[in-house]
Amino acid sequence: MSLLELKNITKRYGNLKALDNVNLKVEQGEWVAIMGPSGSGKSTLMNIIGCMDKPTEGEVLLDGADIAKVSDKELTAIRRDKIGLVFQQFHLVNYLTALENVMVSQYYHSIPDEEEALMALERVGLKDRAKHLPSQLSGGEQQRVCIARALINHPEIILADEPTGNLDEANENIVLDIFRQLHKEGATLVVVTHDPEVGEIAERLIILEHGVIKSETKSSAADDAVIK
Amino acid sequence: MTKRKMFIRMITASLTRRRSRMLVALLAIAVGATILSGLVTIYYDVPRQMGAQFRNYGANMIFTSAESDKDFSRDNIEEAAAVISSGDMVGMTPYRYETVRIHEQPIVAAGMDVEGAKITSPYWHVEGEWPSSPNEALVGEEVAALLGLSTGDTFNALYTPREDEETEEDVLNMGVDMTVSGILNTGGSEEEYVYMSMEDLESIVGGDPRFDLVELSVSASQEKLTSYVDTISGGDFGVSAKLVKRVTQSESTVLTKLQALVFLVTAVVLILTMICVATTMTAVVTERRKEIGLRKALGASDKSIIKEFMGEGLLLGGIGGIIGAVLGFLLAQFVSTRVFSSSIAFQPLILPATIIISILVTGISCFLPVRSAIEVDPALVLKGE
Amino acid sequence: MFFRMIKGAFTRQWKKMLMIALTIALGASLATAMLNVMMDVGDKVNQELKTYGANINVVPKTSSVVDNLYEVEEGEDANTAYLLESELGNIKTIFWAFNIVDFAPFISTSAELSSGEEVKINGTWFNHHMDLPTGESLDTGIQNLRTWWDVTDGSWLNEQQAGSENSVMVGSVLAERAGIKAGDTINVNAGGKDYSLTVAGIYSSGDDADEQIYGIMDMVQEMADKDGYLSNIEVSAITTPDNELVIKAAKDPGSLTISQYETWYCTAYVSSICYQIQEVITDSVASPVRQVADSEGAILEKTELLMLLITVLSLVGSALGITNLVTASVMERSNEIGLLKAVGARDSAISGLVLTEIVITGIFGAVIGYFAGFGFAQIIGHTVFGSAIEMKPFVIPIVAVLVVIVTLAGSIPAIRMLLRLRPAEVLHGR
Repeated sequence: MSLLELKNITKRYGNLKALDNVNLKVEQGEWVAIMGPSGSGKSTLMNIIGCMDKPTEGEVLLDGADIAKVSDKELTAIRRDKIGLVFQQFHLVNYLTALENVMVSQYYHSIPDEEEALMALERVGLKDRAKHLPSQLSGGEQQRVCIARALINHPEIILADEPTGNLDEANENIVLDIFRQLHKEGATLVVVTHDPEVGEIAERLIILEHGVIKSETKSSAADDAVIK
Repeated sequence: MTKRKMFIRMITASLTRRRSRMLVALLAIAVGATILSGLVTIYYDVPRQMGAQFRNYGANMIFTSAESDKDFSRDNIEEAAAVISSGDMVGMTPYRYETVRIHEQPIVAAGMDVEGAKITSPYWHVEGEWPSSPNEALVGEEVAALLGLSTGDTFNALYTPREDEETEEDVLNMGVDMTVSGILNTGGSEEEYVYMSMEDLESIVGGDPRFDLVELSVSASQEKLTSYVDTISGGDFGVSAKLVKRVTQSESTVLTKLQALVFLVTAVVLILTMICVATTMTAVVTERRKEIGLRKALGASDKSIIKEFMGEGLLLGGIGGIIGAVLGFLLAQFVSTRVFSSSIAFQPLILPATIIISILVTGISCFLPVRSAIEVDPALVLKGE
Repeated sequence: MFFRMIKGAFTRQWKKMLMIALTIALGASLATAMLNVMMDVGDKVNQELKTYGANINVVPKTSSVVDNLYEVEEGEDANTAYLLESELGNIKTIFWAFNIVDFAPFISTSAELSSGEEVKINGTWFNHHMDLPTGESLDTGIQNLRTWWDVTDGSWLNEQQAGSENSVMVGSVLAERAGIKAGDTINVNAGGKDYSLTVAGIYSSGDDADEQIYGIMDMVQEMADKDGYLSNIEVSAITTPDNELVIKAAKDPGSLTISQYETWYCTAYVSSICYQIQEVITDSVASPVRQVADSEGAILEKTELLMLLITVLSLVGSALGITNLVTASVMERSNEIGLLKAVGARDSAISGLVLTEIVITGIFGAVIGYFAGFGFAQIIGHTVFGSAIEMKPFVIPIVAVLVVIVTLAGSIPAIRMLLRLRPAEVLHGR
């Protein structure tokens, strides 16, 4: 059984079909990139995978359970337990320190644990910046806090929406290195991007156009990069 | 770390690290609470303070002897006056009227308690001085004009006994020399009399002390005054108490209107202030829609988001309420000393009431925008600018 | 482009603008209501204080009191000791005529009841209708001057009713003693003539009047043989509380400088009204009834000061509240301001844009607020005093200035703060 399986997903906004009969499987430990131009339905697909939205038609099976049928409240609970989100605009709470931002995620999930949160920050190389407020961190550092926050509850899937969109090249590389590391450790990654470089290092690259999957390519670049 | 500790940590972080925004909100709440507690304190104290002003009209109750031809003694008066609680009693003046002859004219002389009269007849205009030493008298303007007396003059007062009265010869023939300490102007019938201390009148008239009537100035509501009158007249004091209807009736009419005025003004100001607090809180919360969306995306349940925001709001409401309650009292005190030159009565109930109301108002004005914010799809909030 | 941007702000951000407008409207309505009530409260409370009765007493120069003290026989040298009834209308022709609320003439004589008891009978106006020399007409009399009278039996004597010429009202103490009830006919002898009087009502006044009888002016003048003469006039006037000038004037109006005299004469002080009454009533002395006039002054002064302070405080409160909200709403727009700066807008252009928006919103709110405040003031007026609050036109500029100051005070510091930020910081949401 796949970790995530989308069966005949259609999403309509009024007359507009954002997604048209999409089928997609994500296996445990896979690194999948979703690419496509603006308006291709990327964001809609990501929202559905991230349990922030439900399809108009079709089934979304996460760990074998159909999330298209559950209530909003249950959807929130599933998102909390199984998904780790990384945003293009970081979205950190600006009055909480890096450490506290990570702990917020723990707080909603289970019980805040400062030690564990600190370890998560260490993993993204920010242990010494734990007490800084977002405004005192660079863009790359903020994104790393965001990743640490996504990791903290050991989610089934880490879903990143344009994680490098607001970063310079140096920071982009740091973030991608962290992804490689996570992949090596067996995490399931879904990255939505329009940057071909980011897309190509994934194991599997899915190209979306006008709400339909246009192509799917497998690559081994991800493993190579880590080895290199 | 427990969940509660994290909860407190988040709230304190929000309050202390978003200082300028929180100050804006706190200021709004504190101003609202100050106006609330200040105006309500004033509202409660207006009848008392204004009532004191109305005592300018002078006596509103009089005592006379229960049986018309029998005198009553100082003991009778004091026992009857004890019925009125000392807090309500403003002043009391016993009077005795006798006809004396001055410059061969029959003039009514009144013996009184000088210090009492200053309080029970605050509207008396005295040109010169009130009598302060023996053998000084206050002469009504009419009498002064008739007799050609002015301040500092002396006159001889002789007693004219009633026909059936027996009087010692020397009192009859000698009379007593009095000095005019001041001329009395009231615009009323008081100008036809000569006023002096009770002792002086007794020395002119001779015989035992007696009283014709007592004027009292009592600061109390119409109902309370009526009950005092009933108790005194019904009791075994040998005293009949009556209200000066002109004063009491008018006072209660005007006072009721004044209190209604302050009440309505307070109500209007309060409603507007509360709405002002609510809009400010709404603005402060609406600003954080993105944060609410983020928390939702991180998997926060609606309940826990509401809990956090309400926690902040209630804390702000509480702090603002405490500041406001204290400032409000000081404000009421300021108004009271400026307007009435007396300090305001502290109403202990207003303190907790202010705090509770400001917590409620803040809570409600936090709750509504938070609730509307959590209904929004987190994906929409997070994606867009 | 400027106007397009402003238009854009209103069409796209109408919800936020509406909230600011609403808050400003609230503040403006509060200011309007409070200022109007405050400015009218003096007159209104003054009207209420009229329940205490007359505050001016007019007597002949050679006072009747002196007659009593001399025990001069009635009828002797009547011309000097009495006022002329024909001059009564003059009271409503003085400078402050509009402030004279009520007045009533009095004359008294003694009469003998059929039981042989001697009583004082007063002639006066109850609800007298009179046509003034000015062409106006008015109804006045003791029905308005003796508000504390309780008519315990029967009703107030109605002068305007036909056949009321021989009606009287009898004091409660006298009525009880003599067994008189409303509707009874009593026979009295006065000035050697017999009269048969109809009792219209019994009143309880709580003072000496309870032992007396009140009847129609003409009848008592006839009893006293004083046709066309009065012993005194009670006048109830709306007055301004006394001040230093008045104390000086009270001693001698001649001691004032011309400008002081004019101020005094043209202000409704009780002493200037008295002075003006003396000018129109021959050989009269008008003096304030201290008990009423002084207390009125004190109460009015306190009430006005109280309302003034409450008004000022609530205005300061609402000004702070609005300033606050405007600040909050300007700060909220940091992104937009950052963006404008990023595309190269000058600081002055940005300030101009934001300020224009806020001021337009403010004016919009203020207009709505003014009318809402008008409503609030009328609610207060009708609920408390049962009459409308007079809307003072100069409240409008005061409210306008307040609104402008408050909105500018709220937005300028916030705009300055935002302009100091670097565009990149704002746009990256730090």
